Amino acid sequence: MTRDVTLEVNGDPVTDTVDPRMTLADYLRDVAGLTGTHLGCEHGVCGACTVLLDDRSVRSCLMLAVQAEGHRVTTIEGLVGPDGGLHPVQDAFSRHHALQCGFCTPGFIMTVVEYLAEGGSDDEHEIRERISGNLCRCTGYHNIVLAIQELARQNP
Amino acid sequence: MTFVGQPVARREDRTLVTGRGRYVADIRLPGMLEAAVLRSPISHGVIGVIDAAPALELPGVAAVITSADIEGYVEPFTRPFYKTIPQHVVEATGLIVRPYRAQLLATEKVFRVGEPVAVVVAENRYIAEDALELIDVDYQSLPGIHGIDEALADDAPELHPEVPGNVHCRFEVSAGDPDAACAQAEQRLSTRIVIGRSVGSPMETRGVVAEYTAPGDLRIWATQQRPHLLRTYLSEMLHLPEEAIRIISPDMGGSFGGGIYNEEVLIPYLAIRLGRPIRWIEDRRENLGNARHSRDQVHDVEVCYTNEGRITGLKDRFIIDTGAYNPFAITLSYNTAAHLRNQFKIDNFWAEGLCVLTNKRDNTPVRGAGRTSATFVCDRIVDMVAAKVGLDPADVRQRNLIPGDEMPYNMGMLYRDGGNVVYDSGDYPSQLQKALQLVDYDTFRSDQDRLRAEGRYVGIGISCHVEGSGFGPHEGALVRIDLSGHVVVHSGSNPHGQSHETVLAQITADELGVAPNDVTVRAGDTGLIAHGGGTFASRSAVTAGSAVHEASGRLREKVLAIAGSLLEVDPSDLDINGGVVHPRGVPDVGLSLAEVAEAAAPGPGSRLPAGMEPGLEVTSYFVPPTVTFSSGTHVAVVEVDIDTGLLSILRYVVVDDCGRILNPMVVDGQQHGGVAHGIGNGVFEEILYSEDGQLLNASFMDYLLPTATDVPFIEVAHETHLSPLNPMGIKGAGEGSAVSPPAAVANAVVDALRPFGVEITEMPVTPAKLWRLIREAQAQNR
Repeated sequence: MTRDVTLEVNGDPVTDTVDPRMTLADYLRDVAGLTGTHLGCEHGVCGACTVLLDDRSVRSCLMLAVQAEGHRVTTIEGLVGPDGGLHPVQDAFSRHHALQCGFCTPGFIMTVVEYLAEGGSDDEHEIRERISGNLCRCTGYHNIVLAIQELARQNP
Repeated sequence: MTFVGQPVARREDRTLVTGRGRYVADIRLPGMLEAAVLRSPISHGVIGVIDAAPALELPGVAAVITSADIEGYVEPFTRPFYKTIPQHVVEATGLIVRPYRAQLLATEKVFRVGEPVAVVVAENRYIAEDALELIDVDYQSLPGIHGIDEALADDAPELHPEVPGNVHCRFEVSAGDPDAACAQAEQRLSTRIVIGRSVGSPMETRGVVAEYTAPGDLRIWATQQRPHLLRTYLSEMLHLPEEAIRIISPDMGGSFGGGIYNEEVLIPYLAIRLGRPIRWIEDRRENLGNARHSRDQVHDVEVCYTNEGRITGLKDRFIIDTGAYNPFAITLSYNTAAHLRNQFKIDNFWAEGLCVLTNKRDNTPVRGAGRTSATFVCDRIVDMVAAKVGLDPADVRQRNLIPGDEMPYNMGMLYRDGGNVVYDSGDYPSQLQKALQLVDYDTFRSDQDRLRAEGRYVGIGISCHVEGSGFGPHEGALVRIDLSGHVVVHSGSNPHGQSHETVLAQITADELGVAPNDVTVRAGDTGLIAHGGGTFASRSAVTAGSAVHEASGRLREKVLAIAGSLLEVDPSDLDINGGVVHPRGVPDVGLSLAEVAEAAAPGPGSRLPAGMEPGLEVTSYFVPPTVTFSSGTHVAVVEVDIDTGLLSILRYVVVDDCGRILNPMVVDGQQHGGVAHGIGNGVFEEILYSEDGQLLNASFMDYLLPTATDVPFIEVAHETHLSPLNPMGIKGAGEGSAVSPPAAVANAVVDALRPFGVEITEMPVTPAKLWRLIREAQAQNR
């Protein structure tokens, strides 16, 4: 048994035939070929698989692909400008050495894109609370918080 | 040096921040099948009939294999991951290591929950997991061993006949005369310290992709810190020449320890057998239970000291619960013994280390590798001594640290690699002083009483550490200048987040007079260089860095010799700047590296000096004489909520000495991450088994990693004392930062709760344990 699902991925309308039990994460990675969305725990704790669904962060491991019917999905690949330029959050993460192995990074960046879109402040406590749903084992969060603070200060 | 020492931006980042990294799970080959592993649900038992027929009937299932299917084709693991302990170490320590043998798939018995029993290969992972549920295995439970005391009990079952009494390894080390020192001591105290079990928990789980396209062409992508070692294992276990096997460790999402795993042998074998590419990706539940664990030690320790708090002797009998198998033999236990005395001048010392087998997951190195446990024991004891003699822990530390003018300091015992344990460089008293100044220790002490009067329980704790870093036996680098004048570095050590691409390029760029952007660093592929070690034991900067330095230096000499011959200038009068070889002080005249490469190419057009080998390529293998000791001092300031046991870390200060700093941004990043890892190990993370050997916390909801709200900003400063053991004076920076936090935090908690007289002898100090300790102390004081 399969189902057709129609959604928008990084601005492009797509229709695919999927198993109803396929997660959104597996759909993005294996069907859409967007492997920048990573799977760290597949039980909704680590946040590595975070994508934006209609501009709100969701864990793509906890959603089925068919549930994304009619929605807009943005992944890490969708942040790069048409000229190949980095999104400001990608750029800030790099400049602040806010990543080491890079596995959790796409999930963090998507969380931060949402935070900034909501006008998030540069308050350390508020930032730490907001990213506490994303786990990183390499950076101790130090430079991630610094990068977000800088972004928040520059946020229009 | 132009680039070494600078915070050069990472070459790795562009790929990773755009989601273009290529981790094992991102690899999809045409016709690829996916595998899932059936694992034992019991901790010890006999396997009867395995009925896989219903699974094989499921549409989409390609194969189910059990031990009977691999018998005669794949050898079991039969040797530990470090080949040999030098004979003089064996003799000096009375070392006993029982034969190591571990089955790839359970044959007659299972020895732990999670041990692989069968592998299913199917069209996709969903179907493979469906099929696991259709395999019927007849298990008969046997009495299991799930702790050290059980393993050593007189009536304990013997898990393996070749391991009498379940003691897999044993050794003794000593220095000075600890018995005499303790007999004469003014005071002594004994205590038992228990170190809980944890797991490395990289954000990426393990994975393997294997493809066998033709006889002699087995290609494997694996989350592997030591690809060359995996190749050697596969060569032996699959009866293939090494040349037939190519291991690629692509981008890796952390790792922090582990070794060679069953799946890394089984999946390649299946790819050969089925003639299809196969991918196996571990899920998180599998990772928490089956990626090898670490720590899990019990120490019975006696410390002898003067009334002024000067420690005169230390004795420790410690036992490691090594789990079902012990592939690293004495790596953890010997590391523990070798680092037990930390930065302190304790000349009378004895330790006995035992590794006992139980029906739990193997206990093997994870970031810190024995040092975390040793440091927790040592630093807790120093604070206990301070309390006994009524002095501030900082004072007692200063009284016992090895004085700066006595360095290098010989600790009077052998290291595991056969060298002497000699702290080669550093100034520990100065390091402590700097840390105390940074945290403003005196002001904290004067504020502490006032805060206590307000009902706030704040405390300060210190931990220092040493780390034998840069373990051998060798590391290799190939450096080449191609015909376009571009520099290529092939490293035998591959990163899992440690920034090799950037840092090794900095070293080469300085030697060859180019910019880091003119250098491409490749690693994590056995096709790149004949021999490689890998990334572990805080070794890459030390060993790979030195190999790159040496190979680049030799290549520079060759470039200058060729250019000197072409320009008719003495090579010693030449320099390389901006990729141009020119006479010193005459930047306008010269040859580009591309021109020198063309002159060095083989063939009739070659313009090499007579007798010189063609090509601009040098391979060097750096062989360290022994490890070099990096060090650090950490200070934690904590506040305890005595009603809930919740712990807040208010400040965390690090003073680190890793010798020559190659890239300060990268080194500080290692400090931040290591501290967070250590805080996790010290406060949150504890692998828990039930009495019958079931893993109780196999999800990130139950096994807690520190989040951004649990870790403060880490304040990092450096002291730089160059190592005399390698040309650039490098000491390892990767793991030390993870070693001290459990001890620093525990000492701070004891300090915060001094009004209650709470003592901590267990790591981690979870909020629940702390709450219990506070309640018990309150009840006693009432």
